[in-house]
Order: sequence, then structure tokens, then C-alpha cells
Amino acid sequence: MDMLRIGDLHKRFGEKEVLRGLHLSVPEHSIYGFIGKNGAGKTTAMKTVLGLLQADAGEITVNGEHVVYGQTATNRYIGYLPDVPEFYPFMTAREYLRFCGEICGMKKAENESRCKELLDLVGLGEETHRIKGFSRGMKQRLGIAQALLHRPKLLICDEPTSALDPVGRKEILDILLAVRKQTTVLFSTHILSDVERICTDVAFLNNGAAKIQGKLSEMKMRYRREEYRLETERETDITILRKAFPQMKSVGQNQVVFSANDYAAEVVLRFLADRKISLLKWEREEPTLESLFMEVTRK
Amino acid sequence: MKSLHAFMKKEMTEQLRSGRLLILGILFVLFGIMNPAIAKLTPWLLEMFAESLEGSGMTVTEVTVSALDSWMQFYKNVPMALIAFVVLQSSIFTKEYASGTLVLSLTRGLERFHVVVSKSAVLFTLWTAGYWLCFGITYAYNAYFWDHSTVRNPVFSAVCWWLFGVWVIALMILFSVVTNANTGVLLGTGSVVLISYLIGLLPKISRYLPTFLTDGNSLIFGIAETEKYMAALGIAVVSALLCFSFSIPIFNKKQL
Repeated sequence: MDMLRIGDLHKRFGEKEVLRGLHLSVPEHSIYGFIGKNGAGKTTAMKTVLGLLQADAGEITVNGEHVVYGQTATNRYIGYLPDVPEFYPFMTAREYLRFCGEICGMKKAENESRCKELLDLVGLGEETHRIKGFSRGMKQRLGIAQALLHRPKLLICDEPTSALDPVGRKEILDILLAVRKQTTVLFSTHILSDVERICTDVAFLNNGAAKIQGKLSEMKMRYRREEYRLETERETDITILRKAFPQMKSVGQNQVVFSANDYAAEVVLRFLADRKISLLKWEREEPTLESLFMEVTRK
Repeated sequence: MKSLHAFMKKEMTEQLRSGRLLILGILFVLFGIMNPAIAKLTPWLLEMFAESLEGSGMTVTEVTVSALDSWMQFYKNVPMALIAFVVLQSSIFTKEYASGTLVLSLTRGLERFHVVVSKSAVLFTLWTAGYWLCFGITYAYNAYFWDHSTVRNPVFSAVCWWLFGVWVIALMILFSVVTNANTGVLLGTGSVVLISYLIGLLPKISRYLPTFLTDGNSLIFGIAETEKYMAALGIAVVSALLCFSFSIPIFNKKQL
């Protein structure tokens, strides 16, 4: 089942059309990477799902229920972490979580135990200072804790790692991986290594529409090219290779690429073995998200 | 109901920890003490300056002060207390719009009208508590120092002024949900009060305007009858209720 489904979503701010017919389906228990350049419409799409912005046209369902702007009942299924989460600075992390629990109507005992569990999960269990002294990483972690408080079916994170240092990023990604069993995660980002590390599904957003979307593994298969790259130790070997296989393209120092359509891999390998050419690298070219991203955003 | 209670608790904690509660407390107590103190000190002050006044051709005869002078001070100082209250609290909504703190609460299922109701309840409670504390202090001193029987309608005139404050706060709430910055709140509220005051200069209409309620002096001196204030009272109550009930649907559709 799809936890979130967006159909033909349009939104404009004055002259600027931000979303132009966005379609998206997020399967249950996936970690869905929502990828796009700055200004591609990621935040707008997410805010519309949360009923914070009114769509001009289109339909959104969360867990099978329609999303209504303003009083948004579907938000009870959603945990939300904005790009820069803002909390009441005069509270401590524990007080803030307890406040959130009270807002969702949690029972006192359950609220207490859940707060403790989540603060430990995000590493703020021992923190007693007020939020006004928190670093961005700490705020981001508290943001995830508050988003998970009521065991949402869908966790929406808007660029949760963008402003963090490598340690902070790893912590956030580990937390997202850890909660996958309990919930579906939709997170927007433009950091592709984060996507490759934890996502099961991705969608590339460009000019207000999802250009390609689907399972990350399937997408990699689909865009896989039968290409090999090899690197030799000596420069002279490259000259020998290119003489024998004229279709090989030289790329950078001591490196060539060739397509399997031109030469069979085993023929090249036998040639290398016969000439005793020592290799530094032999690899099959995987499509990187970066190359996909570039391809999508160029169109 | 639970979320309303939680949000109200948050509002009170904020008032306490931001120091606003303390400032308001000090302000109202100070004004409460100042009113009789100034009245009490007036003869002494005049005596002190008697010589220099004589030099400029004024002679100071014996000055007698009564509870009425203290109440006159009260109605002179209370507008300042209200202005301070409004300035101090004008960001109660707008600060949350600017920082985005409401977004998290609303996306986790807080009903929007709970926000308006909680903040309004806190504002009205603080105004009511502060105002009557100030009134109580002044009243107690006045009754202790002077013969209080000369003062007419002390409670009714105070109720009128208190209600004027409630009306101003209701305006402030309305402008807080309409505009996004607290300059907008202050300008909007200030303009409406000013317009009401200016129209009030026309004698025929003045008694129907909420600003008429600020004329506490005529009541304590017994110049005006309480009946004369009924229209303004009714209009203030109705328009405050209207402001409040418009605020809720406007806030429900507000883009945050």
C-alpha cells in the first residue's frame, strides 16, 4: 500500500509556478529520498502534504485519507521535521517533548516513558539545558524525537542533514535507518551520498514535477550502461591498448573506457593477460545518482 | 481539551520565564502604590517649592488632598499601564509566526482555535489580575489615608476602565491574526483606539464609543450617572466578542 500519494499537484506563488503536476507515490516502510536542486519545490510539496499550504490543484492522500488545508486531520499520521526546526527556547528538551505529547493527547505515563525512550534514541537523554543553547545538530535530533513521538505512520523530514557536519549527518541518518521498521520515511535532500546510504526509493524533482521515481536498485539497473573502465600502471600500456582496440576512449590519466558492445570483456582481459599489462583498476561503470541527477536536471 | 490545557500551560511558562510576568507584576504594583503616594506627597511637594513659586507670583495656600486626588492619579496612570501591557504582549502571536514554532505544534494535531483561545485567555487573565491588583492596592491605601465616602462609584468606574482594556486587548488579538508583524499589531490597535477617541470628540456620539469608558473621573466625582455608560459598556462588550469570534476563523485559514 502507498502511505502517501500525490496526484497532479499544482502550486504557484504569484508569477512563479513552483509545482507543475507533481505525481508521487511513497510505499509503506520505505525510506523515500526526495531529491532536487534548491528551489525545485521540495519544501512546497511537503508543506502542502502537511496542510500548511493550500494547493491550487491536485490531490493528496495520506494513509488513504484526503489531506485538507487548514484543519488537517491527516497530520495525526504524520511526524514532521522542518528544515530548520524551531522550538520554544525557554523549555528544556524533555519539557518540549512532554508538551508535544500532551498536545497529541497522550496519557501521562505513556508520555513520560516515550519521552525518555526518544531522548535516549537521539542522544539527548542527559541534556538538562534549555533549548536556546542548543546547536543545530542537537535541534535537528530533538526535531526527529518530536516527530516520532506519537508513532507516526509517515515521517517527513525536510533536508534533515543539509546544515550539519559529517558527524551530525551520520547520527541523523543512523536514526532514520533505525526507525524504518516502525514507520515510512520521506526525506528531501540534495546530498546524494545520504540517499545512496539509506534510501530504498527515490524521486528526482525538477521544475516542479517528478522526473523519474522508483526503487533505487531498479533505477540503478535501468540506467546501467554496459561500460567498463580500466586503469593501467604505465602510460605506454594505454597506447598499446588503444592501438589494439581503437574504439576505447581515453579518460584522464592512464584510464580508458569502452563499451561491451564494441569489445567483449573477456577478449580485453585475455589481451591484458597475454601482454602482462599490470592493472590498477578494472570496473564496471555503475550509474551514480550524481550522473542521474545531472541528467534529470539538465532536461 | 488536553491540548488546550497543554498550550495554555506553555503560554504561562513563557510569560514566567521570559520575565514578562515579572515586569507586568512590578508595573501594576508600582502604579498601585504610586497613585496614593503622589496624592499624599502633593502638599509636601508644593510646600517645598512654595518659595520659588512665590517668586513667580503664585502663593501657596494650604492644600488638602483626598481620596479623589488619588483616584484621579489612578485614571491618569492606568492608560500608561495598558500601553505598556499592549507593547509587551504585542508579539505574543507574531513571534511564533516569525520563528515558525507554531508549525510543529499544529502539524502534530493541535487544533488551531486552541492557539487563539489559549493566548487570549492568558492575555485577559493577566490584564484582569494586574489591573485589579493595581486597583486593590490603590483602594486599600485610599481607604486607610482618607475618608473614602466622598468617592462616588469607585468600583463601577474601575469596571468601565477594565472593560476598555479588555476591548483593546480583543483588538490586539484580532490584529495579531490578521497581520504578521507586531508593528502591524501595534499600528492597527493604536489606530482603532485613536479613531474611536477622535470620533468621541463629537458630543452626540461620544457616549456610544468604548473610549467613553475611560472617563473615570466624571464617575468618581459623581458628575455623570452610571446609566450614561451603559451604551458604551454594551458596545465594548459586543465588539470585543466580535473581534474574538472573527479571530478564530481568520486564524484557521491563516498561512503559516
